[in-house]
Amino acid sequence: MNALLIACLACTAAAAAGFAFLLAAETLRNRRRTCYHNLLRQRYLRIVMLALFAERPAVPHFPLLRRRDSRLLLAETLAGLGAMTYGLPTGLLSEITARYRLDEWLLRRARFAQGYRRARYLALLSELPATESVSRHAARYGDSRNRYVRFYALMIALTAEPPAALQRMAGCAWAFSSTEVAEITAALRRGLLPIAYRPLVASASPNLRRVGLSIVRQFGIAEAGPQLLQLLDDDETAVAQADVLHTLCALRRPLLCREVRHSLGRMKPAERRTLMRCMARSSYAPELLRRLFDKNECAYYETIVQSHKRCLV
Amino acid sequence: MQRILIASDDGFSRELIRLALAGLGAEVRCAGCGAELERLCARVLFDLIIVLQTAPFFCGRELIGRLRPPGLRRPLVYVVSWQQSEQTVLSLLECGVNQYLTFPVSLQRLRAKVAGDLTLQQP
Repeated sequence: MNALLIACLACTAAAAAGFAFLLAAETLRNRRRTCYHNLLRQRYLRIVMLALFAERPAVPHFPLLRRRDSRLLLAETLAGLGAMTYGLPTGLLSEITARYRLDEWLLRRARFAQGYRRARYLALLSELPATESVSRHAARYGDSRNRYVRFYALMIALTAEPPAALQRMAGCAWAFSSTEVAEITAALRRGLLPIAYRPLVASASPNLRRVGLSIVRQFGIAEAGPQLLQLLDDDETAVAQADVLHTLCALRRPLLCREVRHSLGRMKPAERRTLMRCMARSSYAPELLRRLFDKNECAYYETIVQSHKRCLV
Repeated sequence: MQRILIASDDGFSRELIRLALAGLGAEVRCAGCGAELERLCARVLFDLIIVLQTAPFFCGRELIGRLRPPGLRRPLVYVVSWQQSEQTVLSLLECGVNQYLTFPVSLQRLRAKVAGDLTLQQP
């Protein structure tokens, strides 16, 4: 009996040691791979930057491109460069993409992937210099059930054909989330989408209006104030009204007017609290709020203002 | 030789800015935001520090106090971040930040600004 017990214990110990060894080996392998990827990414970035700032820009040679994941690293490097900068010579980036067939490769990977992986490949494609052919191929994902896939297919179309951007955004059947609006505005900041805010804010399409309001917020367009107050009168939907009120707060417009009081009266308590947080961020004085909110809500506002969270930066 | 420090926890953006500033004739060093940054600043007096991120619940005034010795105008501090709200920018400038740029950033403009400020700082 004792011998059996000892044998069982020895087997368990051996199995545990085996698992621990495998785990350690896997961790080491992952660490090594991450290190290798970081080094290769840095190397690719260096090559691209040298080519971009050279006197005579020419398509550079990228080493180790046949190795596993190298092409993805190159695509990530170009996409990262595109996302974080503007004003770089796009011609050279397009030439690199075309020479190494990065767009074709990403499209092929997207075709065989599903869900978030597919969305990731499409997101990378949307950051690379776009062509109409890629946009045509990515259009098949425009009706995907996965929201991210659908959105990045739209982003590819927007960056490939900027003149048709408004039409495409208005044609979307789903409402843009705040993150999606931020992505579109980031593309606009990089100069990929030449869009004016006025027609967007006045548009009947909720998606276009959200993008317009986001532009007004981000660029601090104070002259849009009267148009926003007009919107509060015209649009009765709660979501649109909350968005307009947040934009007015971001612009630090005076809020003691009939339109704002009327909208606040129709908001739910949770929405009013969300608006208060936005007002605190925009430094509205608690004195002003006493004329807009009741006593309990004003007390809540004062707690936000006094909180250390106001000390943001 | 003038010294520039680039501080960020994101290796890619750090490397990107480092490469963009190469060839300016200054020594460019990189560090993560946090203890490493403070340690480097305590040891070396930099001419320019470029911070590539902002963080909520983190007081900029304290950070500037640690980066810049009291009574000195050196090092110049640039902040480049994705934050775009006017409130953030104003608070940073009030804290003593010399220049605020938002991502996406023009590398040529950044390079020109840095070159201009380093020239002004030369004795």
